[in-house]
Amino acid sequence: MVMDFEFRKQVMDYHQGSEVIKYCYQCSRCTDNCPVSFVTDELYQFGYNPRRNILNALLGYKENIFSADPIAIWGCTVCDTCDEVCPQNIELTEIFTLLKNQSIEKGEGPEFIFQQAQAIYESGKAIPSQPALERRRESMGLPEIMAPNVDEFQSLMNNMEINKKLKVGD
Amino acid sequence: MTEYKMFEGCTIGNRIPFIETSTRKVFEKLGIETSEAPFTCCPDPTGFKSFDDEGWLAIGANNLCLAERENKDIISLCNGCTNTLRGVQYQLEHDSIKKEHINKELAKIGKEYKGTINVRHFVDVLRKDIGLEKIKSILTKSLDGLKVACHPGCHYMRPHEWMETDDDPMRPKILKELVAVTGATVVDYEEEALCCGSAVSNAYEEVGLQNLKRKMDSIKKAGADIIVVNCPACFQQFDTQQRNLKKEFGEDYDIPVLYLTELYALAMGENPDDLGMRYHRTRLRDIAPLGV
Repeated sequence: MVMDFEFRKQVMDYHQGSEVIKYCYQCSRCTDNCPVSFVTDELYQFGYNPRRNILNALLGYKENIFSADPIAIWGCTVCDTCDEVCPQNIELTEIFTLLKNQSIEKGEGPEFIFQQAQAIYESGKAIPSQPALERRRESMGLPEIMAPNVDEFQSLMNNMEINKKLKVGD
Repeated sequence: MTEYKMFEGCTIGNRIPFIETSTRKVFEKLGIETSEAPFTCCPDPTGFKSFDDEGWLAIGANNLCLAERENKDIISLCNGCTNTLRGVQYQLEHDSIKKEHINKELAKIGKEYKGTINVRHFVDVLRKDIGLEKIKSILTKSLDGLKVACHPGCHYMRPHEWMETDDDPMRPKILKELVAVTGATVVDYEEEALCCGSAVSNAYEEVGLQNLKRKMDSIKKAGADIIVVNCPACFQQFDTQQRNLKKEFGEDYDIPVLYLTELYALAMGENPDDLGMRYHRTRLRDIAPLGV
């Protein structure tokens, strides 16, 4: 197993305070309380295991994380339970966000994530407004939703090169 | 009274607007004033944040700038939106390097994030600012005899550093208090703090269903007539997925789901038709205390 020191540094430097990951003593409270681990143990051979992700991130075993079944990263349902039960105050979900972002940069990750990002990029909304829904809003006496400034919003995203991560035309 | 900028979010605004109908009726009665702003998606803490975390910060900060411009606090109807907007504020407040970086990007579109406004979940406003007595005073009908399972949802209370609710993030009680004022009976169940599984369902449907089954089994065992939630994502998960549970596991739950303000609106004597109850997938029927 190769230790990727660059990856390890990215994990440690993710936020101010992210280096507390080194205090992980693998007690497994995260996995024991994880709702996804609870059900994937039965459904998948490898399942979703936050404790193992933290161990691999801490040791810089990048390959272990990214060569496994994608559920090893994308099984996380972002319930933040592990963050609350961790006795060492490790922000596990933030580390998992880094892993997911890196998975996206490889062009991997669930279709839903790309579709949502595309919708947000195009309309400013994860769920774009539709004429039928607008009529329903009106019939229920609701005010019109103020349209966001999509041009300005797209400039912000383009400047940050977020548009380049989208799978346009796929 | 304070006027808030309404952050209804993409799901309520553009998919299940009937939730906004009951909310506005309840807000009006309680004197909670709101106005609109051209917000974009918050963006989704379980979706877009996983796509690009830095973009999540920038877009969230961009939304906060819109409220700062009018010097008004935001009131949010969605756990996810509240979580994003509060999380962005928390991270920018505690990390000057991040704040500087995001402000550099915002400057290019003529904005600056300052951190001058507050983001409130409507449950927090109801409990802290309005109070149980005032809420009780607008209800005209007791829901005595109705058994309710409460599901406040993950992002209303976790991570606690961001959310700063008065609730215990693993043993929440505020939604229970807010439901109990209607005269309904809150039933405790084992899996109260368990996630609805909305996020994982988007990637792994079968995992989401297994998780929801665990949750629903626990709710059913407690003998609940209805489930009350304060988040549109949780609402949709419970409301639309029960039929899939039946398909997958042959289990019939048929437990209707109400958003907190829908429960209040019914207890205010509002007509279920005016509240858009027909748009609920798990139909409300024969629930005597609700009169539907």
